[in-house]
Amino acid sequence: MGEAALISLQHVGKSFKEGTLQVLDGISFDVRAGEFVSVVGPSGCGKTTLLRLINGLLAPDQGTVRVKGAAPVPNSDLAMVFQSARLLPWRTVAGNIDFVLALRRLSRKDSAARTMALLGAVGLRDFADAYPHELSGGMQSRVGLARALAVEPQVLLMDEPFAALDAMTRETLRAELLRLWSRRRMAVVFVTHDIDEAILLSQRIILLRPRPGRIEEIVSVDLPEPRWQNDPRGLPAFAQLRGHLWGRIQGMARDGVALEDLARAFPETEGQPRAEG
Amino acid sequence: MKGRGTGDRTKATPPGSLGFSGPPGQNRTRQRRKIWVVQGLIALSLILGMQLLNMVAGNLVMPTPLSVLRQAIDMWADGTMGWALWESLAVLGAGFGLAATSGVFSGILLGGIPFLGRVFAPFVTAMNSTPGAAFIPLIIVWFGLYTEAKIVLVWHAAFFPILISTAAGISTANRDLTEMAQSFGAGRRVLFWQVMVPDALPSILSGLRIGAAVSTVGTVIAELTMAQSGLGGLMIAAGNRFQMDRYFAVVVVLMALGTLISLGLRQAERRFARWRVVMAEAR
Repeated sequence: MGEAALISLQHVGKSFKEGTLQVLDGISFDVRAGEFVSVVGPSGCGKTTLLRLINGLLAPDQGTVRVKGAAPVPNSDLAMVFQSARLLPWRTVAGNIDFVLALRRLSRKDSAARTMALLGAVGLRDFADAYPHELSGGMQSRVGLARALAVEPQVLLMDEPFAALDAMTRETLRAELLRLWSRRRMAVVFVTHDIDEAILLSQRIILLRPRPGRIEEIVSVDLPEPRWQNDPRGLPAFAQLRGHLWGRIQGMARDGVALEDLARAFPETEGQPRAEG
Repeated sequence: MKGRGTGDRTKATPPGSLGFSGPPGQNRTRQRRKIWVVQGLIALSLILGMQLLNMVAGNLVMPTPLSVLRQAIDMWADGTMGWALWESLAVLGAGFGLAATSGVFSGILLGGIPFLGRVFAPFVTAMNSTPGAAFIPLIIVWFGLYTEAKIVLVWHAAFFPILISTAAGISTANRDLTEMAQSFGAGRRVLFWQVMVPDALPSILSGLRIGAAVSTVGTVIAELTMAQSGLGGLMIAAGNRFQMDRYFAVVVVLMALGTLISLGLRQAERRFARWRVVMAEAR
C-alpha cells in the first residue's frame, strides 16, 4: 500500500518535557485516500498527540510524517474535529464556518452558499444564525463536523468527537458520519477509546499500547457496507473482532501495564502544550 | 432526538433570551415586586430618618429632606448644578476616554506579547499599588491646577485597572479555541484579532467598568484638591460654608451619576459578552 498512501508515518517518536516523557515511539502506518482508520487505545497512549503530528501542529522528534508526500502544515488538506466542538462562542453557527472558509481564502459569495449547503448536510440549516450556546451538545458537534467538512479536506482528523455526547446522539452522529464519508470519501483518522465504535465505523483499526504509545496491532475490519444501513453489531464477525481486541487489551494489562495508573500518570498528555508558531 | 442535551442548557439561559413563561416566570415577577416594595420602604425610612435627625440635632447635623429638595431645584434652575455637572463630565469623559483607549491598547500589547508582559509586570504592579493621591503633587507641578491636570489624574487612576484586566484576558485566552484556529491554519494575526481579542472581550469590559468607577472617584478628588470646579468643587464649597442642604443636593447628583455610569457599563457588558455569562452558568 506504499504507493497510494495519503498519510504515511515512519518510525515516528515524540516526547515532551524536554525528552523526559516519551509519548509515542516507533509508530509506522499508512492511510490510503478515502480510507477510514481508527486509532484505539487506553488513555495516555498518545492518540491526540498522533493527530497533532498528522495535522502539523507538532513536529515529530524521530521519524517522518508525510501527508501527500510532504511534511504537513496546518492548512494542508486536513481538518480537525475535536471532542468539544470548540466553536467560537461570539460567532453564529454560520459565522463559525465562515471563519475557517476565510482562513482558506474563499470568496465571500462562495462561502455563504457553501456554508448553507453544509449546514443542510448536517441538518442545521435553520440554525445558521444561532449562537453556539443556544445549541445542544449534539448540535454543537454537528457544527464542528460541518466546519471541518467546509474546507473540503482530503483527510478528516477526529479526536474522540462523540465521547462527550449522550448515547442516542452519539448513535445518530455515527450514522451521519458514515453517510457523509461514503458520499465524499475523504480519508478519516478517528481517535477513540471505544472499541465498539472503532469496529462499527472503520476499515482498519490501529491498536496502541501506552507508555510510550506503540502500535500493538493493526486489524482490518471486514464487515458488510454500507454500515449505517445494516448495523453490524449483531454479526458474529463483529463479536469475534470485539473479543479479539479486548483480548489484546487485557493482554497489555497482564504484561504489567496498569492501565488505570497510566491514565493517572499522564493526565496532561492529551493537553500537551503545542509547538509555537 | 436532535436535542437530547438541550434540557440542562436552556434551563441555564437567563430570562429574556429563550424566555420560559408560566409558573416560574410568575413567581419571579412576584418576587421582583416584593423586592421593589422593600427597597421603597428602605428609601422612605432613610428620608424619614433624615427628618428625625434634623428634628433632634438641628440643621447643621442633618438638613431636612425638603430643604435639600428645595436647594436642588434652585441650583438646577439657576444653572449652577448644570454647569458643575458639565464641568465634571468633561473631566471624567476626557480622562476615562484616554484611560480606556490607552489602557486597552497597552493591555493588548502586554497580554499578547508574553515578553513585554513579563518585563513590565513589576512596574505595572508598583504603579497600580501606589495610592493615586500620592501623584497629586507631581501632577500639579507638571500640569498645573486646571482641566489638563484633572484629566491626567483621572487617566492615571483608571489606566492601570483597565490595562491589567485587558492583559489578563488576552494572556489567558482559551487554549482550545486557539488550537482549533491553528489547526485550520490561522496565522498569528488572525489568531490574535479574531480569536484571542474577542475571547478577552468580557474581561476588557469588566476592566472598563472598574475604570469608570475609579474615574468618577478620581474626578471628584481632582476637583477637591486642585482648582475647585464641577460637582466636587460645588460640594466642598457648600460643606466649607456649612450649607448642608446645598451639600446634600450635590451628593445626590454624584450618587446618581455614579449609578448611571455603572448601570450603563453593566448593560454593555451583558450585551457584548452574553455568551460568556451563559456558558459560565451552564458549567
